[in-house]
Amino acid sequence: MIQKLLDIDRRIIFVLVFVAVAVPLLAGMVMPITPTKEVQAAYDEIEKRAAGDVVLVSFSYGASTVPEMQPMARAILRHAFRRELKIVAICLWPEATGLAQEVLEDMAAEFELQYGVDYTFMGYKPGNFSVILNMGQDFHSAFPQDNWGAKADELELTRPLRSLKDFDLVFDLAAGDSIEFWWIPYGQEKFGFPFAAGCTAVMAPDLYPFLDSGQLNGLLGGLAGAAEYETLVNHPGKASKGMSAQSFAHLIIVAFVIIGNTAYFVSRRTRPEQRS
Amino acid sequence: MLFFNRTLPLIIAFAFGMLGIVIYYVPHSGAQSVEREMALWVRIVFAFSYLLGLYSLLNLHWQRIRQHAAGWGYSLVAIASFSLMMLFVIYNDGKGPFAAQAEAGGYKWLFDNVHVACASTMFSILAFFIASAAYRTFRARTPEAALLLVAAVIVMLGRVPIGREISEFFPAATDWLLNVPNLAAKRGILLGVSLGAIATSLRIIFGIERSYLGGGDE
Repeated sequence: MIQKLLDIDRRIIFVLVFVAVAVPLLAGMVMPITPTKEVQAAYDEIEKRAAGDVVLVSFSYGASTVPEMQPMARAILRHAFRRELKIVAICLWPEATGLAQEVLEDMAAEFELQYGVDYTFMGYKPGNFSVILNMGQDFHSAFPQDNWGAKADELELTRPLRSLKDFDLVFDLAAGDSIEFWWIPYGQEKFGFPFAAGCTAVMAPDLYPFLDSGQLNGLLGGLAGAAEYETLVNHPGKASKGMSAQSFAHLIIVAFVIIGNTAYFVSRRTRPEQRS
Repeated sequence: MLFFNRTLPLIIAFAFGMLGIVIYYVPHSGAQSVEREMALWVRIVFAFSYLLGLYSLLNLHWQRIRQHAAGWGYSLVAIASFSLMMLFVIYNDGKGPFAAQAEAGGYKWLFDNVHVACASTMFSILAFFIASAAYRTFRARTPEAALLLVAAVIVMLGRVPIGREISEFFPAATDWLLNVPNLAAKRGILLGVSLGAIATSLRIIFGIERSYLGGGDE
């Protein structure tokens, strides 16, 4: 019996995980979400900016992390536009261009934003950390044109921006190591701007030392971070809905860990008895 | 030939390594303009590395198709998908390859409806394997493993709303785990990695570490 439990067909596990994820999503179940202090700090960074302040949002993620990162981007931009902040969007990952464009277009329609005045999309530039160094010294040299070919000098929003120091806040949305290995050493440390970030759930624990040192002012970690931000801006979206599915998926995994370990210890005890 | 294969690369590595270190800390406008130029050069090198990556990817798949290696059909799909995307990029919604990227069109449609869906699906499949792996291999065989297991269970429950519904202990304990033991360990690792990176960089700059030159020990 115990051995059967230990050798359970993994397709049974897959079906249970599928049910745990699918049922809450299909039922539209939404659970109460309490923001953590890291997400609250990121929210406060945007909240304390005055109308007209310029925020640089860097999209450094790809298509595989869309379910985690895209709701995060929407929640942050919705908050920023609600506060009448100006957004300059850039991409440091080539794949991020199409994803950033989608969020910006949705926000532009929702808030009736004027391109070049309320927001601009500068597109992608290769070079990882060197783009950040370049932006710190000369923003127009790093991004001479926007994603559609309009000159940065001719756009009302980007015309006066000369360096990273001219931004009132920088927000990096990352699925890789851009926060700790690009933005903090080559951007925040060197040019000293307020910096907050959003990242995938697996990356979040790596960034706690930077929160503690004050190099990072706030952090959204994974779908949970996105859901907490949606709660703060009072606009529950895909992340909030996803959290109920994630809750049940985690419960299933915890149950499997407990069952697996119980079976393992019972089998260890019964084996010597069987031998004797 | 030894000069071009060994001595010149070592001189370049030393000169640009030292320059990179010095100008990072010098706020003078002259140093800043040198740094700006170097950053631009790095970006150009990065752009060329994409071409190299593209050549490498296509060549690898082409060789697999040519040799009918195991799974060559997937290589065919990879090249066909690349070619299709490339075709739409060049067409650029009728504007041609030299105009700025079109806001809509075939490329955007394929990206939104095929690439994003496929990539997200691949990543989501991880959930199933994590559950299966957790059941089969996550065992408290040693006291260290038991500690890791208990911490993982607490964090898994503490990071989702249902954990708070079960008990306020889970989010509070998660917060402590992330901000105390995790922070201390990560900071230690980060310091170690940084010191290692500095040591390796200095070894390369001063020509002690030469493996990047290739060619073995001769």
